[in-house]
Amino acid sequence: MLPPEPKTEVGRDVFNLYLVVLALALIVFVAVEGFILYAVVRYRRKPGDDVLPEQLHGNNTVEIIWTVIPTVIVFILFGASMITLAEVEARSDNPGVTIEVEGFQWQWNFRYPDEGATITGSAADPPVMAVPVGEPVRLVLSSIDVNHAFFVPQFLIKRDLINLGENGRNNELEFTITEAGTYAGQCAEFCGDFHADMTFVVDAMSRADYDAYMAAIVAGEPPPATGGEDCGTTIAVTAVESIQFDTDAIEAPAGEDFCIEFTNNDTSIHDIGIVDTEINGDDIGPGASITYVIPAMEAGDYTFFCTIHPTMTGDLTVTE
Amino acid sequence: MATTTLEPRTVAYRRSWVLDWLTTVDHKKIGVLYIVNSFMFFFAAGILALVIRSELAVPGLQFVDESTYNQAFTMHGTIMLFLFIIPALSGFANYIVPLMLGAPDMAFPRINALSFWLLPLGGGLIFSGYLFGGAAAEGWTGYAPLTSSQYSEGVGTDLWIIGLTLVGVASILGAVNFIATIFKMRAPGMTLFRMPIFVWTVLVTAVLILLATPVLAAGLIALFIDRNYGGSFFDPSVGGNPVLWQHIFWFFGHPEVYIVILPAMGVVSEILPVFSRKPLFGYKAFVFATIAIGLLSWSVWAHHMFTTGSVFLPFFSFMTALIAIPTGIKMFNWLATLWRGKLMLTTPMLFALGFISMFLIGGISGVMLASPPIDFHLQDTYFVVAHLHYVFFGGSVFGVFAATYYWFPKMTGRKLNEPLGKVHFWIHFIGFNLAFFPMHQLGLSGMPRRVADYSPDAGWTILNVASTIGAFMIAVSVIPLLINVVATFINGEPAGNDPWEGNTLEWATTSPPPPYNFDSLPPIHSERPLFFLTHGHGHAAARPEDLEEDPGDDVERRDGLV
Amino acid sequence: MQAHPAGEHAAQVAIAHGGSGMPTALVGMLLFIASEVMFFAGLFATYFNARATSPGEWGPPAGAHELDLPLAAVLTAILVASSFTMQFGVWAIRRGDIGKLRLWTAITLGLGVLFLSGQLYDYSVLGFGIGDGVFGTVFYTLTGFHGAHVFGGAVGLTIVLARAWRGQFSARNHVAVEAVSMYWHFVDVVWIGVFSVIYLLR
Ligand code: HEA
Ligand code: HEA
Ligand code: CUA
Ligand SMILES: [Cu+2]
Repeated sequence: MLPPEPKTEVGRDVFNLYLVVLALALIVFVAVEGFILYAVVRYRRKPGDDVLPEQLHGNNTVEIIWTVIPTVIVFILFGASMITLAEVEARSDNPGVTIEVEGFQWQWNFRYPDEGATITGSAADPPVMAVPVGEPVRLVLSSIDVNHAFFVPQFLIKRDLINLGENGRNNELEFTITEAGTYAGQCAEFCGDFHADMTFVVDAMSRADYDAYMAAIVAGEPPPATGGEDCGTTIAVTAVESIQFDTDAIEAPAGEDFCIEFTNNDTSIHDIGIVDTEINGDDIGPGASITYVIPAMEAGDYTFFCTIHPTMTGDLTVTE
Repeated sequence: MATTTLEPRTVAYRRSWVLDWLTTVDHKKIGVLYIVNSFMFFFAAGILALVIRSELAVPGLQFVDESTYNQAFTMHGTIMLFLFIIPALSGFANYIVPLMLGAPDMAFPRINALSFWLLPLGGGLIFSGYLFGGAAAEGWTGYAPLTSSQYSEGVGTDLWIIGLTLVGVASILGAVNFIATIFKMRAPGMTLFRMPIFVWTVLVTAVLILLATPVLAAGLIALFIDRNYGGSFFDPSVGGNPVLWQHIFWFFGHPEVYIVILPAMGVVSEILPVFSRKPLFGYKAFVFATIAIGLLSWSVWAHHMFTTGSVFLPFFSFMTALIAIPTGIKMFNWLATLWRGKLMLTTPMLFALGFISMFLIGGISGVMLASPPIDFHLQDTYFVVAHLHYVFFGGSVFGVFAATYYWFPKMTGRKLNEPLGKVHFWIHFIGFNLAFFPMHQLGLSGMPRRVADYSPDAGWTILNVASTIGAFMIAVSVIPLLINVVATFINGEPAGNDPWEGNTLEWATTSPPPPYNFDSLPPIHSERPLFFLTHGHGHAAARPEDLEEDPGDDVERRDGLV
Repeated sequence: MQAHPAGEHAAQVAIAHGGSGMPTALVGMLLFIASEVMFFAGLFATYFNARATSPGEWGPPAGAHELDLPLAAVLTAILVASSFTMQFGVWAIRRGDIGKLRLWTAITLGLGVLFLSGQLYDYSVLGFGIGDGVFGTVFYTLTGFHGAHVFGGAVGLTIVLARAWRGQFSARNHVAVEAVSMYWHFVDVVWIGVFSVIYLLR
C-alpha cells in the first residue's frame, strides 16, 4: 500500500505526507473493523434467548466524543496537507530548464525554448524528455485539443493539460529529480481512443550529459546513449516455447554492472531472477522484451531462473 | 322457428396481468417495477464490467479494441449509476416509504408511474448507441472538449445526452413526489422525529436530487447545443471554457454520490437495530448527521478537479475532509447499535455488516484523496477506481442486497432461503474484495484508469489477474441469488406479516400489503411503533416518553412544515 | 386482495389528515419550481462563466445588430403586467368570482402570447445566431429556455381558461389556478433575471 519510491524532491514530501495519512487511515480502519468483528463474535444471540437486551437509545457524551475525535484527525490531515501543498506548489525563480509540454491526440511535443529544440513522439516511438538531475525543471503544460495530463508515477505528481484558448493561463509543474535514470510516464486524463498510447519517457542525466544530449538534438544527430543504465556487458537470453530458456549457461564479469537483454518468445509470462539473491526482474508478457540491469556481483557460480516457473533455470558464472 | 337461447354474456372486468402492471399507479407495483428494471440494467452493466476485466487481465489487447473498450467503461459507469443503483434505491423507497409513514400511496401516483416509465426509455436510448455506430465513449463524466462534435462524432454521444436528460427528469419528478409524500402523507402521530431513519435519508436524498439534477440537465443541454447547433459553451477557440463542464458536472456529481449512498445508509440503519434487537443508537444525531452531509455535499465538488489547476485547493480540500465528521458520527452510532445487542446474523444483517465494513474502506480512501498533494499522485489512477467501487459497490450495492433480503418477504409474502443467501453473501464479499482491493495498489503504482492496455514491464499484471478473478466471482455469486429468487417464488417459506420482528409500520400490514396498505394502524408514539406493538408498552426497556398515553394529543402533533 | 372497508377508512383518515395546511398539489408545484430555479441557475452560471473567459468585447458578434433594449424593456413590462393580471384572477376565484377569473386569465394569456411574439420578432431581426460566438450561444440559450417556459406557462393558462369556461373552479376548489399562477410568477421572475443580466449588465 505504498507509492513508488519517489525520485523527485517534491515527491519525497508527498511520500512522507502519504505515510502520515496512511497511518491515520490504518488507525481508523483497525479500530472500526476490529470493533465490528468483536461485536459479531461477542454479542451473538444465543438460540432460544428471548430476553431483549437493554434498549439503549443514545448518549450525548459519547456523541460528543466521537464528533471530536474525527474532527481532530481531519484538522491534522488538513494541516499536513497544506504544508506539503505549499512545497509542491513552490516555484523557483530560476529553473534549470523550462520545457513546454504540449499534448495532442495522442502524443506529446516537448519544446525546449532555451535550446531551441522540439521533440515529438509517436505511439510507436514515444518521446524522450531529457532533463538534468538536481536542478529544478519547470514544465509549462498546454493542449491543442482535448484535456490530457502529465503523469510520472515515480515523481508522485501530475497536472492536467487543458486547452483554454487565447487568454487562458497554462498550468505549470516544477520538480527536481534526485536520481539519474529513465522514468516511464503516461497521459492520465482520458483523451479518446488511443489515450493508453500516450506514453513517454523522462531521461534524467547529469548536467554534462544533458548538455551533450541537447547539443546533439539541436544538431539533428542521434543523441548519445545515456541513462543510469550503463551496460558494460550485455547478455541475450530468450524464453522459448514450452517454458524454457534458449541457453542454459551464461557468463558475466565480476565487480561491474552488466545487463541481460531478455526476450520472451513463449506463450506465457516470464522473468529472470537469480537464486539466493535479491535480484528479481519484472515480469514480461509473451512477445515482449526487457533489459535488466544487474548490479555488480562477486565472482562465483550462480543459478538464474524464472521466478514464475522455478523449473526454468540456467547457470550464471561470474568471473574476475 | 328455432329458438335461440341467449347466453348471458357478461364481460368479466378482468384486465390482463400485463396491462395491469403496465398501467399501474400503485406505489408498491411501481416500486417492484423499479427494482426489476434496475436489476436488468445491473446485469447488462455487469456484463460490460466482465468485458473490461477480461481485457485488463493481462497486457495486450485480447478481446476488444480501444474504441469498444472505451464504450464499455462509459456505458458501464453510466448504466450502473443512473439505471441501476439510483433506481434500485428509488424502487425500495417507493415501496417502503409510504408503508413506513402509514400512508395509502405516494402523493402523486400518476407522476410516480411517469417517473418510472421514463427510465427504461432513457436507458434504452443510452444503450441504443450500440445500434447506431457506437455508444458514447467519453467516460461517464463526459468531459468537454472530448465530447464536442469535433472529437466525438456519431450519435452515440447525443443519445447518451438525451437519455441522461430523460433519466434526470424522471428523478426530479420522483424527488418532488417523495418530498410531498413525506411532508403531506404521514399518518396521525407520525411526527418528523418519529419517522424511520430510512425515510429521513430518502427525504434528504430527494432534496439533493431536486436541486442537483437540474444543474446537470442544464449542462447536458448546453453540451447538446454545442454538438448540434454550433454553440460554443465549452469551445475555447471562441471564448467558451472546457473547465466549465467539469464545474457543472461535479456540482451535480458530488451531491449525486450522496444521493447514491444516503438511502443505502438508511436501509442499514433499519436493519442493524432489528437484528441487534435494540433501537438505533443516537437517532437524532443520525438525523442531523444526514442533514449535515446533505448540506456539505454542495461545497466540495472541485475535489474532482484538483489537478486542473483552476480551483482553490484549500477550500475544497477542507470542506471535503469535513464530511468525514458527520459520516463518522453515523458509523459510530451503527457500532454503538451493535454494542451489547443480541445479534442475529441473517442474510440482510450480513449485507448490512458488509456495508459498514466495506463503506469504511471507501470512505477512508476518499479522505486520502481529499488531500491535494496525495490526489496529485492518485487522480485518474486505479486508486480512484478502487475508491469509487468501495463506496458504490461496497456501500450502495451491499445496501441494495441487504434491502432485497430484508423486504423480499414483505413484497412477496415469502422469505428468501437463508443458507443460499449466505452462500451469495460470502462469494460476493470475497469476490468483491479480491476484485477491488488490489486496485488501491495498482493506483499507487501509477496505473492510470480508462486504459485498455498496459505495459507488461510495469509490474501490474499479477494484481490485474487477481482483480479479474474477483470480478468473475462476483458474477458467480449472482447465481445463488437468482436461484433463490426463483425457488422462493415457487416454493418459499411463507413469511407472515412480520418475519423479522421489525420496528417500523410496513410490518404491521399483510405481506404483500393490500392495495390501500393498511386495515388499521397501530398507535405511533416513537420511531419504532411495531416494536412496542410486539413487545408491549409495559416493557421495562421502553423509553418513558414512549409510554406516555397521549393519542389524542398525538393526532394533532403531526407537525406539518407546509 | 379484497377491498376492506376498514382499510379504506384508515386510508381516508391518513389522506384527510394530509389535507390540512397547503394543498399537496401546491407543495408539488413549489418543489418543481425549486428544481427549475436550479436549472436556470445552471444556465446563468454558463452565462457568467462565458463572460469571464471570453476574450475581447462582450456582446453580439461584430457586424450584427446591437441588442434592442427598448423592445426588451417593453416585453419586460408586458410580462410583469401579466403577473399582476394573473394574481387578480387568483383573487377573483378566491372570492368565488369565476367570471372575473375568466377575464383575467384571458388577459394574462394574451399578454404571454404578446411577449412570445415580441421575442420571436426580436430573434428575427438580431442578425446573429446561436452559433456566432459564445455570446450568441448563451444569449439564445437563456432567452430561448425562458421562452420555452413562458410557452409552457401559456399552455397551463389555456387549460385553466378552458376549465374556468366550463365552470370547474370555485372559491373552495381551485388548486389548479393557484398552481399555474405560481408557475407564471416564477417565469416572470426568471425573466427579470434574464433581462437584467443580458440587457442591463452590459
Ligand atoms: C457513493 C458514492 C461516493 C461516496 C459516498 C464518496 C465519499 C467520499 N469521497 Fe468519493 N468518489 C466517488 C463516489 C463517492 N465518494 C466517485 C464515483 C468518484 C470518482 C468519480 C470519477 O472520477 O469517475 C469519487 C472520487 C473522489 C475524489 C476525487 C478523486 C480524483 O478523481 O482525483 C475525492 C477527493 O477528494 C473523493 C473524496 C470522497 C470523500 C472525502 C468522501 C467522504 O464522504 C467519505 C466519508 C466517510 C468516511 C471517512 C468513513 C467513516 C468515517 C469515520 C469512521 C470517521 C473517522 C474517519 C476519519 C477522520 C478519516 N472522492
Ligand atoms: C454502482 C456502480 C458500479 C458498480 C456496481 C460497478 C461494478 C463493477 N465494476 Fe465498475 N465502475 C463504475 C461504477 C460501478 N461499477 C463507474 C462509475 C466507473 C467509472 C467509469 C468511467 O471511468 O467512466 C467504473 C469503472 C470500472 C472499471 C475501470 C475501467 C477503466 O477505468 O478503464 C473497472 C475495471 O475493472 C470496473 C469493474 C467493475 C466490476 C468488475 C464490477 C462488478 O462488481 C460487476 C458485478 C456484476 C456482474 C458481474 C453482473 C452479474 C451478472 C451476470 C454474470 C449475468 C447473469 C445474467 C443473467 C442470468 C441474465 N468498473
Ligand atoms: Cu492524452 Cu489521455
Ligand atoms: Cu466527490
